[in-house]
Amino acid sequence: MGEAATKLTVVRNPAEEGFLKTYADIAGTLPGTEKIVKARRDAMAVFEELGLPHRRVEEWKYTDLRAAIKEANPVAKPASVDAGALKSALGALADVDAIRVVLLDGHFAADLSNVDDAGKGMRIMPLAEALGDKEFAAAHAEIANVLEHDTSVALNTGLMTDGAAIRISGPHETPIHIVHATTAQSASLVTTRNTVSVGAGANVTLIESFVSLGDAGVQVNTVTHVGIGDDAHVVHVKVQKENAESLHLATWAVELSARCHYDTLQVTTGAALTRNQIYLTFNGEDAKAHMNAAYLQRGKQHCDSTLVIDHIVPGCESRELYKGVLDDQARGVFQGKIMVKPEAQKTDGKQMAQALLLSDEAEFDSKPELEIFADDVVCGHGSTSGAIDDELLFYLRARGIPEKKARALLVQAFVGEAIAIIEEHEKLYEALMGIAEDWLSEAV
Amino acid sequence: MLEIKNLHVKIEEDDTEILRGVDLTVPKGEIHAIMGPNGSGKSTLSYVIAGKDDYEVTEGDILWNGESILELSPDERAAAGVFLAFQYPIEIPGVATMTFLRTAVNAVRVARGEGELSVADFMRFVKEKSAELNISMEMLKRPLNVGFSGGEKKRNEVLQMAMLEPSLCVLDETDSGLDIDAIRIVSDGVNRLKSPEKAMLVITHYQRLLDYIVPDKVHVLSKGKIVKTGGKELALELEESGYAEFVNEAA
Ligand SMILES: Nc1ncnc2c1ncn2[C@@H]1O[C@H](COP(=O)(O)OP(=O)(O)O)[C@@H](O)[C@H]1O
Ligand SMILES: [Mg+2]
Repeated sequence: MGEAATKLTVVRNPAEEGFLKTYADIAGTLPGTEKIVKARRDAMAVFEELGLPHRRVEEWKYTDLRAAIKEANPVAKPASVDAGALKSALGALADVDAIRVVLLDGHFAADLSNVDDAGKGMRIMPLAEALGDKEFAAAHAEIANVLEHDTSVALNTGLMTDGAAIRISGPHETPIHIVHATTAQSASLVTTRNTVSVGAGANVTLIESFVSLGDAGVQVNTVTHVGIGDDAHVVHVKVQKENAESLHLATWAVELSARCHYDTLQVTTGAALTRNQIYLTFNGEDAKAHMNAAYLQRGKQHCDSTLVIDHIVPGCESRELYKGVLDDQARGVFQGKIMVKPEAQKTDGKQMAQALLLSDEAEFDSKPELEIFADDVVCGHGSTSGAIDDELLFYLRARGIPEKKARALLVQAFVGEAIAIIEEHEKLYEALMGIAEDWLSEAV
Repeated sequence: MLEIKNLHVKIEEDDTEILRGVDLTVPKGEIHAIMGPNGSGKSTLSYVIAGKDDYEVTEGDILWNGESILELSPDERAAAGVFLAFQYPIEIPGVATMTFLRTAVNAVRVARGEGELSVADFMRFVKEKSAELNISMEMLKRPLNVGFSGGEKKRNEVLQMAMLEPSLCVLDETDSGLDIDAIRIVSDGVNRLKSPEKAMLVITHYQRLLDYIVPDKVHVLSKGKIVKTGGKELALELEESGYAEFVNEAA
């Protein structure tokens, strides 16, 4: 009997089998030095053991990937598109002046990028190339291992094809825009990874956008590592408006040094299922992270924002303002975990998650978690959800504003509070408010 | 002409009648005042004219220019010329006052077939009207009514009234909470709007406002009914004797 028990094998679903097979098939063609090859192998071993996360895994209890992913899509074939098609997919974001790195179906597209315009103090390299560099690869293999308890990250490490490797020093007026575009006309898989290293005292705005040029469902898995030096200022914006068939798994892993400022904004309207994870660690004292998000979802869309904020040194400040607009049977999830280690005195951590429900069938789940092991801290969280306030609506309508327009104004005002974090970047701000406006005008 | 005929109103989810047969006619070019004790139904009457759907009209009608407005939505009424200056203006975080004004002005203009104002024309218009009411451009950049003082909110109501060019103006206790200087600014604003084309209904609890906005008629509303109508001297009488008499009469 004991014999039989040890021989029990894990039951994998077709998707898990599929991802393992994909890895077996393409491992030999994926970029990277020996160290990276090993990191990939280790990561896939973790994936093989844990499989896709499901609802009995606490961190994924509202977003059951094993149920959501029926099969592993084949890896996307590199494609080409003309600049005009990309520009129209980007909409107003295309008008935001930037150094652009375009990743098309998971591969750097030099012809659509303008990385050669990157000035002094900005080094941008395709990740596939960087992974072949001994020094870079060794450093990257280290950080790649940190999050491998998270199987979506493990899968990314195993299958990542390309991305942007960026190194910044000094101040930069012009933002860097990493465009993640997919073109697939049939179901496919795109796995990208970016690493951004911002030197001490540097100053930069980083935009990541995710758009679909095709109609087919794409399984997008993306990871961005950000390391920020002492006294640096970084604004990090993510915009995701992929087609409604896609599945989007995004992870940011962020390390902050002393006195730096990190402002983030994630705007999401696309994909059938989105998981936006941020793992953020305060490694240096007196740093500040202000993290906002605005997501607008309808139909059966599902958007999960999961944050793990780790205060391990004293005197840091973290703020989150997450705002979701949910129509039809859409579902919003917010999981915010703030950890304060014993040494992290004078931590100031506050989070607020709000949902505006435009339909009775929309659902919002909020799970804040505070794990505090220091005594001299100020930490708090709040969460609200509710419908549009009738009093506000009546006031606008009494001034002649038709109901649809009045509702739109109130929705824009709601998400606008989160988007305001980048208000000073006028063009970017307008582009992002425009995304909310577009979303509203698409309502049937 | 505004004609309110035998108007009975109750709250949607409740059976108590708040208005119990109001009859009232305000011809164009006239200003009528409605006075009455707290809770007599003054705000309810103003909301029902503006089309708030918490209330149900069980009997009677409201006609504006000879046509019933009861089936019109609040925004359709605004387009038809109805304007209510709220007793308690609503705060809307995230909507800049200027954006709100432009959206509202253009919405009623489009509904009236006049076409939107260009940005330049709108700016000229808003500058002129806000200067008259002592409203700064800085104030208009702030979110609608958020953090505004009582006086600022009421001036903002009158600004909206000036910009939306209504023909039926209902002012619900626009004087409450204002000091005498603010009352003067607001009243001057209202008086500037007076015209042979406009009917105005000024709701107030105190006679004071009517020193500045002189009514053609004064009506006393008590327990959901007009219990007395007279000339502007009726307001002074009320100031002397209070509302006790009417409260008893209606009971
Ligand atoms: N939306 C409402 N819900 C419940 N009661 C209401 C509502 N509106 C008005 N009332 C009641 O109706 C009566 C009249 O109120 P209101 O019209 O505000 O009087 P006034 O403006 O004359 O002070 C009061 O008893 C008030 O409590
Ligand atoms: Mg009242």
